[in-house]
Amino acid sequence: MSPRPQTDVLRGSLDLLVLKTLSLEPMHGWGIGQRIQQISDGVLEVNQGSLYPALQRLEKEGLITSDWQVTENGRRARFYQLTTSGHRALGTELDNWRRFTAGLEAVLRTT
Amino acid sequence: MSAIDGLRARLALLFSRTHSDARFNEEIAFHIEMETARLEREEGLPHAEARRRALIAFGGVEVHKEALRDGRGLRWLGGLTLDLKLGIRMLLKYPGLTLIGGLAFAFAIWVAAGAFEFAGQALFPRLPLPDANRVVAIESWDAAAGRAEPRVLHDFTTWRTELRSVTELGAYRVAQRNLVTSNGESQPTEVAEISAAAFRIAPDRPLYGRVLTDADELPAAPAVAVIGYDVWQHRFNGDPTVVGRVVQLGRTPTTVVGVMPEGFGFPVAQSLWVPLRLSPLDYARGDGPSLHVFGKLATGVTLAEAQTELTALGRRAAADFPVTHQHLRPRVMPYAESVALIDGSELFLARSSYGFFLMLVLLVCGNVALLMFARAATRERELVVRHALGATRGRILAQLFAEALVLCGVAAAVGLGVARLGVRLLVNAIETNTGQPLPFWFHAELSPWTVLYAVGLTVLGAGVAGVIPGLKVTRGLEARLRQAAAGAGGLTFGGIWTAVIVAQIAVTLGFPVVAYSVARDAADTRAMVADFPAAEYLSARIALDRDLPPGADTSFAAFAARRQTILRELERRLLAESGVVGVTLADRLPRMDHPPRMIDVDAGGAAPENPGYPGGYRTSSAEVDVDYFDVLGARVLAGRAFQESDMVAGTGPAGVDGDRSRVVMVNESFVRLVLGGRNPIGRRLRNRYDVQRPRSGEWEPGPWHEIVGVVPDLGMSKASDPKVAGIYRPLATDADVPLYVAVHVRGDAAAFGPRLRAVASAVDPTLRIDNVARMDTLSDPAIQFMTFWVRLVSVVSVVALLLSMAGIYAVMSFTVARRTREIGIRVALGATPRRVVAAVFARPLKQVALGVVAGGVLTAITNDDATPRALAGTLLYSVFMLAVCLIACIVPTWRALRIQPTEALRADG
Repeated sequence: MSPRPQTDVLRGSLDLLVLKTLSLEPMHGWGIGQRIQQISDGVLEVNQGSLYPALQRLEKEGLITSDWQVTENGRRARFYQLTTSGHRALGTELDNWRRFTAGLEAVLRTT
Repeated sequence: MSAIDGLRARLALLFSRTHSDARFNEEIAFHIEMETARLEREEGLPHAEARRRALIAFGGVEVHKEALRDGRGLRWLGGLTLDLKLGIRMLLKYPGLTLIGGLAFAFAIWVAAGAFEFAGQALFPRLPLPDANRVVAIESWDAAAGRAEPRVLHDFTTWRTELRSVTELGAYRVAQRNLVTSNGESQPTEVAEISAAAFRIAPDRPLYGRVLTDADELPAAPAVAVIGYDVWQHRFNGDPTVVGRVVQLGRTPTTVVGVMPEGFGFPVAQSLWVPLRLSPLDYARGDGPSLHVFGKLATGVTLAEAQTELTALGRRAAADFPVTHQHLRPRVMPYAESVALIDGSELFLARSSYGFFLMLVLLVCGNVALLMFARAATRERELVVRHALGATRGRILAQLFAEALVLCGVAAAVGLGVARLGVRLLVNAIETNTGQPLPFWFHAELSPWTVLYAVGLTVLGAGVAGVIPGLKVTRGLEARLRQAAAGAGGLTFGGIWTAVIVAQIAVTLGFPVVAYSVARDAADTRAMVADFPAAEYLSARIALDRDLPPGADTSFAAFAARRQTILRELERRLLAESGVVGVTLADRLPRMDHPPRMIDVDAGGAAPENPGYPGGYRTSSAEVDVDYFDVLGARVLAGRAFQESDMVAGTGPAGVDGDRSRVVMVNESFVRLVLGGRNPIGRRLRNRYDVQRPRSGEWEPGPWHEIVGVVPDLGMSKASDPKVAGIYRPLATDADVPLYVAVHVRGDAAAFGPRLRAVASAVDPTLRIDNVARMDTLSDPAIQFMTFWVRLVSVVSVVALLLSMAGIYAVMSFTVARRTREIGIRVALGATPRRVVAAVFARPLKQVALGVVAGGVLTAITNDDATPRALAGTLLYSVFMLAVCLIACIVPTWRALRIQPTEALRADG
């Protein structure tokens, strides 16, 4: 059985990935998915449909905002960007994630 | 910052459901398009295939949309819409329940909203005037006497010239005048003598002619009048050429210069206006006519600022004129407050009526709840299945609430639709009862507050009618879900429903009994036994204007003398008319309401006091002229009749005894009820509560009066209590109170009416005659009000009766439906129809009987009229109610008896 080439983004980490992606620049939904896939070298694939509820949840929590803008090829698209509290939340989430992976790594290394 | 961001985002999402859906659709479309383009570009797929794969990669669009809606917290909204739709379907599916429950609730809302609106208009008037909140009244409060001092002519003049914060200052006084039109018809009419400023504060354009102007107030200006719509219609038949016509107002020929539009009633509810022409030079300070002062706050001035300026003027006046103004404190208030429409007790009544109507709504809701419960119970299987499919108890409750909300909402809309009629009815009833029109700001429109109140009641009603039965029905759904025989569940009417039914039947019993007793009172009063041929007598109310010719003596003594002369002259001329046998005067005539008074009698033996009225004897009294008993044909039974010497005029104004002769006559009932049949001649009596001390409010007894004669009972009170102890006092013809004249005519007394008016007019143009009626048709406003009350209570009773029947019907149907299987088994085992009926009937019969007994006991306790006739009536009615309730059981019983055992057992129920 060959290893799966792509991994669905774990639900818990999707928010972190979206926040991190948006910390670089404002982006539309499709762009976010593409960016995650590109950066992870195709390892992480976002379930396209579930990205939007996540974006809405983050918006509701006040971590991101959105507005309509025009893309490079002249299409109208909804662009998302991080708010101040989004930046703060990204910091906290990153710390948590690092602690989590360190813990996970430690366990995996010793067993 | 994050909290605000979050809130903003939440609100935006919540309040823009459609917008959000559209936004998401566009976002998805964009996403699919981008993904399709990428697949075409990177994998070289044809467009159609690329799009297909893009869609697959995205997943179910609807699922994600739903997730988005959930994320917005709007799931319930979709559910509510569905529930409301279901509610509407239920209305159509159960037309009987819709009709009865809906009508009941509509009725409750109609009554409650009408009363709320009326109370609102009384407590918080909204004047239909421009800048209404700037219209004010000013009064001079006498801090020592604790009342307003109305003789403010001098102060009014000062305020008018000096007040800066109140503009358009004006004053008015109201008087009754005879309005004699060109056809010679004379009728008393209420006239407002008013400053022209009134027509600038209430700037309605006249229909014809002009309004009053400042120039009209000059002493030398010609006498003019503006007439209102009512006067124009009723006295001038709506003649468009009325302007310029000269009519006689009291003794003054007056030119009509304008006609005001319908609804114009400033200052209160007048329909005839003449200029106010008063000069402070004619009166001493602190003296003069009673005036009401009004004005309008200057632009940008608050009530408090105006009060400050007024207080300063008041202080100055107190310093300058300490004798008259030491205790006077001028004060400014919103205009409507100055019209003493509602005093403390009525205010309490108005407020408590909110509670009463809330109770009515709850009672109706209880009933609707009963019906809804029965309906919900028949749908038990549906509810259990829904629960099995995952609906929570809250979800099912929400559905039942929504169904009730639809029913109550539709009913409330109907109720509100006719609530205007309710307000109009109330206004009419009050105007009839008080004999006066209500202030011009009362109208039949509903305020937003009333609509809000009705909406609140509707939600409350839906809560009671939907949620309470829902709680009961959904209890133990889990358990019933486990039972294979869902639908044969253990739902029964518990104690609360029994209580609702019993209370309702009790109340249903109570309403018509009240209606009956009021109706009987009214009928009895109308048919009051008075031992004289009432049809031969014509009665009329007479009063005299104080409208004197210029330069006349304005003292009370002069007025009293003039009044006495005029009345005697009227009597003399009436007697000279052909067909007139006798003429007499009294402050009240037989068959009119005689207010009760408590009296003491001197030592020498008396009947035991009525425990219902401790501390004295309850009597009715009238003041009568010397020939009163002669004219009415009443024989003096003992002692003597009044003599001219008893009629010594008092010297004081109305209500003050002066040195009037202190003799009285009494009726037969007095001798029996108060003196226990002892000889009354020479005995003395006095009013227990005669004069109230101004400070302490304590009552002092009046002077002693000697009994000089006894006459038969002459109809001083209603027939249910015909033997009221009556006292007759000598009439003070000089007092400034309206009197009644009774004219004994040979032949048809009613035909003498026009002649009576003509003679009165000829005696003095300021002698006003109204309420002309034959004495056997005499009907005072109290009776009219009673009639209205009877109608109202009757309607309530019919509605309550219908509701009870519907409730009982619902309970019976429900019981039969629940017990189909049981009845089937019983019949299969050989039970006779009688046994089946007994088994089915036992419970409702108990409830109905309990209700009837409770209602009967309640009625018997609260009804002070415990005559055998009344008791028999209550009993008969109770039996009738029982029968009506049993009729409601006929259909369900018939249904029960038709149950075929085989069918019942085959049914899965």
